[in-house]
Amino acid sequence: MTATAGTVARDVGARLKAADSLNATLSWSQAALDAEAERVSRLDPNAEASPLYAVPIALKDNLVTTEQPTTCGSRILQGYVSPFTGTAVNRLRNAGAVIACKANLDEFAMGSSTEHSAYGRVKHPLDPERVPGGSSGGSAALVAAGVVPAALGSETGGSVRQPASFCGVVGVKPSYGRVSRYGLVAFGSSLDCISVFGRTVHDAARVLSVMSGPDPLDATTVDRPPLPVPPSRSDLKGLTFGLPKEYFPADLHPGVRAALARTIGAVRELGGSIREVSLPYSRYAVPTYYIIAPAEAAANLARYDGVRYGPRLNGSSGDIRTLYRSTRGHGFGPEVRRRILVGTYVLSAGYYDAYYRKAQTVRALIAQDFQRALGPEGVDLLLTPTTPTPAFKAGEKTEDPVAMYLADIFVCAISLAGLPAMSLPVGRDEGLPIGAQIIAPFFEEARMLSAAAALERVLRPEEEVRA
Amino acid sequence: MSIGRDQVLHVANLAEIGVAETELARLVEQLNSIVSYVEQLDQVTDAPAEPFLAGPVAAPLREDVVGPDRLARDPAAFAPEFRDGFFLVPRHGAMEEL
Repeated sequence: MTATAGTVARDVGARLKAADSLNATLSWSQAALDAEAERVSRLDPNAEASPLYAVPIALKDNLVTTEQPTTCGSRILQGYVSPFTGTAVNRLRNAGAVIACKANLDEFAMGSSTEHSAYGRVKHPLDPERVPGGSSGGSAALVAAGVVPAALGSETGGSVRQPASFCGVVGVKPSYGRVSRYGLVAFGSSLDCISVFGRTVHDAARVLSVMSGPDPLDATTVDRPPLPVPPSRSDLKGLTFGLPKEYFPADLHPGVRAALARTIGAVRELGGSIREVSLPYSRYAVPTYYIIAPAEAAANLARYDGVRYGPRLNGSSGDIRTLYRSTRGHGFGPEVRRRILVGTYVLSAGYYDAYYRKAQTVRALIAQDFQRALGPEGVDLLLTPTTPTPAFKAGEKTEDPVAMYLADIFVCAISLAGLPAMSLPVGRDEGLPIGAQIIAPFFEEARMLSAAAALERVLRPEEEVRA
Repeated sequence: MSIGRDQVLHVANLAEIGVAETELARLVEQLNSIVSYVEQLDQVTDAPAEPFLAGPVAAPLREDVVGPDRLARDPAAFAPEFRDGFFLVPRHGAMEEL
């Protein structure tokens, strides 16, 4: 074993131990880390094929691996170990990454605070009374706490960008179809994207680059070559950033407004232009999402029935339907059950047209808005706040599902449109990080990442924006 | 459109999810809150120029050949009960009225 991989494994183990109080991990062991280091040490550290040599990466626990359990933060998959590893994770491992741990998440990635995990809530690294965002809150917290330089999360409606904003790290959602979903436990199949957290834009871009590219095991991957790590640029000359007026409402949190004003100033200082644009249908993104995502979830989560995966919960006696209902009734937590019930309702006879078909129509209108704004007559990138407020307190929204859903008001529309977007930390308000969201046209991740890297060099994300 | 207790039980039945009597009232209230929130889409009367499609326009086809079994372990290792190539379940009793 080379000193590098072995040292990394020991250091990460020590950091995971020190960060235990965050409850950000669901499984890790020093033995598994050492085995990863042993595997990596057989690779050539200088080979072109090992760009992530000895880089420790945490995985959201809805990414299956054969070595660790995959619970999806749910009792219904307690102890489940997958018989295969997903494409994205295999690509990282082949590139030399050390898989550090499985990270806590909202159950089946449904939530915006990582309070809906069957294994307890994740604490915000800067304030344990607050949430790290969600659903990829464990991954975000581990990067923010300095345990790992990068982590994988997944996005269905903003589940990486929102926690990245809350935790003050970089969070990148690629275009739908850029990264294979093979091995990501399905939630909303027309929306799901494996996404990445990094300490820096470059860290996130390196990981995304390795994961990207077509995969014969996922027919929704787009047949384009892997994303190269974008070259860094020193200015933003020639780029026009659109500010969608619907994303800067009059009641926007003053700290978020100040952070965005500072970011807009930085765009101008670097030679970029600013133009106001309009995305009128974005106001319907959250209600559209909360029809489409639950409908797809109701179908995808039908497979958890106590027959083929995970434990059978209180359903060993009686008939088969008792087994189903008992396993699913006891195995799923309250938010997952709510979403399955909503999804089943909007797909049921007599309601399909009123809800699901209508939501598909509005989804197309939302996507059309973005195509126009980012089209030939439009702007190069869009700039918005990632979240309407900094991280909120634990328990603040758990009793009101709709209030929780509104935490994703600025990130949902982009997921519905399938576009690449990212959150970049741009400042703090009363000690809490604030992120700016950059949105790019389909498959223009390189433009987005290189612009973000230029901004990253001049912004000081650890400074108070209203001081 | 409001959802009543019977409708919630009907949907739970369709979804094969057991719901305890004690949690029913709260669930009815929460589902009504979600459904009334999403009903704001009724305000939209426009039609898009074209339908939205996630992913590539044409799904690529791979070669029609049998590949190696990619499973690292037998289903017996991850299913609650598995024997002779079959998942074992309790017998199918009388279907209750839907």
